[in-house]
Amino acid sequence: MEQFLTAVFAGTASGSIYALVALGLVLVWRGAGVINFAQMGQAMFSTYVASTLIMNGYSYWIAFFVALAVGTALGTAIDLLVMRPLSGKRGSAILASPAMRATVPVIASLGILGILQSAAGMIWAAEERGFPAPVSTLGLSFGGEIMPFTAFDLFVIGIVLVTLIITTIFFQKTGMGLAMRASALNPEVARLSGIRTSSVRTLSWAISGAASSLAGLLVTPSANLSPNTLDLILIIGFTATVIGGLDSLPGGVIGGFILGLVISFVNVYSSPSDIFLAILALLLIVLLVRPQGILGSKEVRRV
Amino acid sequence: MGKKSVDLMLKIENLVTEYGAVRALDGVSFTAAEGKITTVIGANGAGKSTLLRTISGLENSKSGQIVWADKSLIGKAPESIVRSGIAHVPEGHAVIPQLTVAENIEMGSLFRRRNFRSDVKLAMEEVCELFPRLAERSKQLAGTLSGGERQMLAISRALVSRPKLLLLDEPSLGLAPLVVEQIIQTVNDLCRKSGLTVLLVEQNANTALAVADYGVLLSLGKVVANLPAAELKADASLRAAYLGY
Repeated sequence: MEQFLTAVFAGTASGSIYALVALGLVLVWRGAGVINFAQMGQAMFSTYVASTLIMNGYSYWIAFFVALAVGTALGTAIDLLVMRPLSGKRGSAILASPAMRATVPVIASLGILGILQSAAGMIWAAEERGFPAPVSTLGLSFGGEIMPFTAFDLFVIGIVLVTLIITTIFFQKTGMGLAMRASALNPEVARLSGIRTSSVRTLSWAISGAASSLAGLLVTPSANLSPNTLDLILIIGFTATVIGGLDSLPGGVIGGFILGLVISFVNVYSSPSDIFLAILALLLIVLLVRPQGILGSKEVRRV
Repeated sequence: MGKKSVDLMLKIENLVTEYGAVRALDGVSFTAAEGKITTVIGANGAGKSTLLRTISGLENSKSGQIVWADKSLIGKAPESIVRSGIAHVPEGHAVIPQLTVAENIEMGSLFRRRNFRSDVKLAMEEVCELFPRLAERSKQLAGTLSGGERQMLAISRALVSRPKLLLLDEPSLGLAPLVVEQIIQTVNDLCRKSGLTVLLVEQNANTALAVADYGVLLSLGKVVANLPAAELKADASLRAAYLGY
């Protein structure tokens, strides 16, 4: 029983981080039509900034909010400096076909990932460093009894839940949220309604950057920080979006939680070496039974 | 001193639009008079939709001029053109099916909300009065509406942006005659009561000419006739040659 509860809590905590990563990926996919491979590179970079601040004596929370700001700025910069100029070159020979127009930004995101990882290696040297958690990562004790969860698990779950609630309210209740949904669903009708779709695209990149930098801050206390530690998280986050439905925000979040729980149960009841086998099996089953993902819409499969 | 009144007239001169090697508009010139309904009719592929798409900025023209309220629209993006008072209802009941009816309407007013909060509210109420059926269904997804209701929704979305010029592309497409009649009459009322200028593209020439003031007949990207609607309707030879009845 205790093992079971440990698996549930650990899985929910890591699942909520994967949900954040998935949220970032789906946002940019829906808002800009790009699978952003640089996402966890951005998260790594902003977490390094936070880590440097903490090492220089600043408090965790100052570092936390600076990292979110850096993440937002990186997302914005990628759109303004790389993606927008790229889409402005639609007339060029290499971008003539729709297939290339879909592929080139993805390749560009891989290039950005390389740049971010190399830059981090040059600035902070490539050695691994730890990253602190704001609260204890040991099992909480309650009346002498050790609980199956840690204070940090609760912290992560709480912060991600708040983030998801804020995001939902933003998308469902605000004009800007409506503008973002409309632009993603039908850019032509959105533009005819006076929505500036290019600004909306930049906003998608910015929010996605903030979400991924949050994921970076929450995942590194249990994973150590190096220029490519977060690559693995991107792979898991991407799998979560495919399972949940690439074009659905709630789908990506659900996919994240499912993957977190599956990984955690395999870890507790089998062995860590089976984790990737389990992920692959889950992915295959979803793709065979429901290729568009749990909440995805069918059209997206033509890509 | 009073403000210099701006002439709310749409003036199109020698407009050329191409899709690759295909010349969809081949030197189109005409004007749409303020507060009147001008209908653009012609067979399939005459360039009617391209004309509206070029005016609203969805397509880039190759050459020629589009002047609205004394300003050129050439090179402007659709989202700026809406802001200058031109609303385009594209072909095929252009609503977003995954959004609710209310959200589809609200979408058209987003850009005005910051400055004209109270007027936006009024515009929404007017739209609901115009199409009470939409008001009843405001919480439903637009995808669940009938074709006629979708067309009303698309027009409502355009109207809440408070346009001075409404570009309507084939509102009758795929709709029952009774519904077509209702929609066309609504547009007619809007024009007569509030001075809205309308550019109505139709394949259904009879319906369009019945309410229009002027008719522009397009064939293969060229204007072949530009006459008061009644005269165009009465011209048997033009009808036979270009409209096939």
